[in-house]
Amino acid sequence: MIIVTRPHIADHDLDRIREYIESRGLRTHVSQGDERTVVGCVGDVQSLDPDAIRALAGVADVLRVSKPYRLAALEFVARPTLVSIGDARGTTFGGSEIVVAAGPCSVESREMILESAHAVSAAGARMLRGGAFKPRSSPYAFQGLGAEGLELLAEARAATGLPVVSEVLDPRQVELVSEYVDMLQIGARNMQNFALLAEVGRVRRPVLLKRGLSATIAELLLAAEHIMAQGNSQVVLCERGIRTFETATRNTLDVAAVAVLKRETHLPVIVDPSHAAGRTDLVAPLAFAAIAAGADGLIIETHPNPAMARSDGDQSLTLPSFTSLMKLLAPFAAAAGRTIASPTPENAHVVAGVAS
Amino acid sequence: MSSNESDTGLTALREKVEHVDTAIVALLAQRVELARAVGTHKREEGLATLDAKREAAVLRRAGTLAREAGLPEEAVRQLFWTIIGICRHAQEETQ
Repeated sequence: MIIVTRPHIADHDLDRIREYIESRGLRTHVSQGDERTVVGCVGDVQSLDPDAIRALAGVADVLRVSKPYRLAALEFVARPTLVSIGDARGTTFGGSEIVVAAGPCSVESREMILESAHAVSAAGARMLRGGAFKPRSSPYAFQGLGAEGLELLAEARAATGLPVVSEVLDPRQVELVSEYVDMLQIGARNMQNFALLAEVGRVRRPVLLKRGLSATIAELLLAAEHIMAQGNSQVVLCERGIRTFETATRNTLDVAAVAVLKRETHLPVIVDPSHAAGRTDLVAPLAFAAIAAGADGLIIETHPNPAMARSDGDQSLTLPSFTSLMKLLAPFAAAAGRTIASPTPENAHVVAGVAS
Repeated sequence: MSSNESDTGLTALREKVEHVDTAIVALLAQRVELARAVGTHKREEGLATLDAKREAAVLRRAGTLAREAGLPEEAVRQLFWTIIGICRHAQEETQ
């Protein structure tokens, strides 16, 4: 249940509303907008009498949320959630800037992660992605460098100032990974690993939650709800393609999901065109579509030498192609009324150096 | 100011912080003791441990005090929710 207050409600009226709800054994969650304030009620809402609440001073409206998710629901808050990474540059998901995270599927060596970090930073990426722990369909495929990969990511961050996002696979790893990275990624295959969701909900690190391969939008939002119910509301959702009958692409990018999510939730939404397509030639058009549909960011796979990549080489852009893509994205961002970082001319030699 | 002097200043401040932390934990212990006594009373009078009305009043008071002290209200409410949880747990344990 959601209580919408009259504009500029007095503190003592708001206190009285919260006490009324809390004295019935529920918890309240207040979101203050410029004018109206929204009081979300969590607990056994069936026991509340909406008419009695409407009679309290300062209450404008009482809405029953029929959806299974509450904390993630758009109605629950007065303004969209901004997820700040906490780096020196102030990288924030959900604001006017389209935030691009880029980097390799997995951290393979010191040289490749440093080269990747410098190049994507110069191209305008705001975050570095890179897997240290990799969930692979085959137990015999490369499983990632583990803790060593985290050390290398930390070194790349120190060298470039780029904050780092990396996947966590197991509740037992959450504490370790949190020490090294700025944002924890829950991969598509773990979207409904509820023990893991609860664990990342307990730490105070932003979470990038990827949609499961066969998960509905409602299931994605319920997964976010599991994290938020533990007290961590810094969640960014990621559409990365779903399984369909189509075989031309690795997955089918559900562009509609971005538009639907923007109507259903206050959480930022980003798109992973690399995994959705599974092919480098489709990354750019899918990225354009994502921005047009209202995405708050993109996460793109790059590799200094995709042919030699130990995982996902087919979908990884070369570093010069990533720089070209960043240039191509600018007019789409502008058309959507957003900003996006451009490749910096003073760093162009870094990229050129990589290309040669 | 030499770096040595500023280090001494920092050390002194950190010592003060530690004193405050010690006081916070001592006060928490005092609050848990009081909650246990309340629990004993409740049992003698045949009342339930969970008193949502009272918890709501405690939260409201904490929120008001936080506001007056210029502290973030939601964070302080969260903190008190945790403290209430610790005390409720202690009450239940004495049963």
